[in-house]
Amino acid sequence: MSVRLTVDRDVCIGVGQCELLEPDVFRLDDDEELAEVIGEGALPRDRAEAIVDRCPSGAIAIVGEE
Amino acid sequence: MTTTEYGTREEPDVTTADLYLDGIPHERFAAMRETPGLVWHPYEGKGGGFWAVTRHADVKEMSKAPEIYSSGIGHSNLWDLEADALEARRSIIDTDAPDHTRLRRLVSKAFTPRNIRVWEETTREIAVELLDGFEAAGGGDWVDMVAAPLPIRVILSILGVPVEDADFLVEISNYLVEGTGDRPSLPDDAYGNTTPVHLLPFGSPAIHALYEYAERIGAQRRAEPQEDLVTLLVEAEEDGDRLSASEYRNFFHVLVFAGNETTRTALTHGAMAFADHPGEWQRLLDDPDLIERATDEVLRWATPVLHMRRTAACDTELAGTAVSEGDKVVMWYCSANRDEAVFEDPYRFDIGRETNPHFAFGGGGPHFCLGAFLARMEITVLFDEMRKRGLSLDQRGEAVRAPSNFVHGVLSVDMAVRR
Repeated sequence: MSVRLTVDRDVCIGVGQCELLEPDVFRLDDDEELAEVIGEGALPRDRAEAIVDRCPSGAIAIVGEE
Repeated sequence: MTTTEYGTREEPDVTTADLYLDGIPHERFAAMRETPGLVWHPYEGKGGGFWAVTRHADVKEMSKAPEIYSSGIGHSNLWDLEADALEARRSIIDTDAPDHTRLRRLVSKAFTPRNIRVWEETTREIAVELLDGFEAAGGGDWVDMVAAPLPIRVILSILGVPVEDADFLVEISNYLVEGTGDRPSLPDDAYGNTTPVHLLPFGSPAIHALYEYAERIGAQRRAEPQEDLVTLLVEAEEDGDRLSASEYRNFFHVLVFAGNETTRTALTHGAMAFADHPGEWQRLLDDPDLIERATDEVLRWATPVLHMRRTAACDTELAGTAVSEGDKVVMWYCSANRDEAVFEDPYRFDIGRETNPHFAFGGGGPHFCLGAFLARMEITVLFDEMRKRGLSLDQRGEAVRAPSNFVHGVLSVDMAVRR
């Protein structure tokens, strides 16, 4: 079961943990260097929950099931 | 007179700096972890006692709730500061959102995993040079010869300041480490300081020299911008907003001190751990792919920063204990990193741990170590270069530890090259 993820860029502080751990889903943009979702923005639930947990600023959230 | 499990007095004591001359008092932390709720810890410094948070789960809960556990109130060290001192000394570490968010965003781009990778080659070159010198000398003081110069030279490269200034900055940094202990090591007017020392970070006049240095190099970069971090700091702008003079020099101080002292500590405890556990070093020699896991274990083992303090911004509850607005609440990372509930066999140095959610970079949340990826890269590179040349270490004698309850510092440790 996959879930979709989103980044709140008002909260993101550009650490880059998400890009490091899930490079197919997140990337720091070239301009402001804040995280954005790329591609489908979907991950299996366990990995999605892990990345939500690992984001230092709490900017990543699960928004719904695929 | 009774004796508690945590200390020799009637009350818990993990703050007496001299305790740390023999290493982290793990048995006292273990006893606090077993005590339900939070432990109230007396403290003679300004503002009095604090709640000791010693379990991994509780440190994590606090770290992720910065709106409750403030970094900007009181101080991030154990003792409170007068309002004037807090303002003069305030750095990104002692700042809450929204100011923290603004400061962090100004510099975070220099420290993202992608941008840190750029510095890996430079770091390898420095590591190779230092290890060559260490081997040629047949060993010596690991701190002085390898662990201190590596991170300072890397951060100086990133900041863009001349390598000739490395020794001076190491000297200043050493005085700042001492400033985290109980004993002042310099006269108040050292380095021409005229500022009352209570207004200076760590109460150390050495910071005066660092501020002067920061201002000189900042002025140079303002006049002649370069592709470096000092230029980024002096030109940093978000929504027309710039770093104030005080923000700039405190940022410079945090980058030099944090970018130097903490990684040096990790590289030293890592070397000591491998010397003490030759089986684990052999394991890395046999299986180079373990390097990333080994890095995490070195970080957990070292826990360079022992604690950070927060102050409750409102009445709350943690681990079933009522915490009142204004209470000091202290996260002991060194305890969380030995929490039996999270780490199997926590006192074992095991470079093969599959999961290693250590708090060497803090417990998560927005104050997550800015230099985490840089530190990780430096540790990985150094031990990987040692592995490549099959350099094994034997420790000669006891390490000289810093008398500090804040940093897990080692001032010197004599290492021999194992033949």
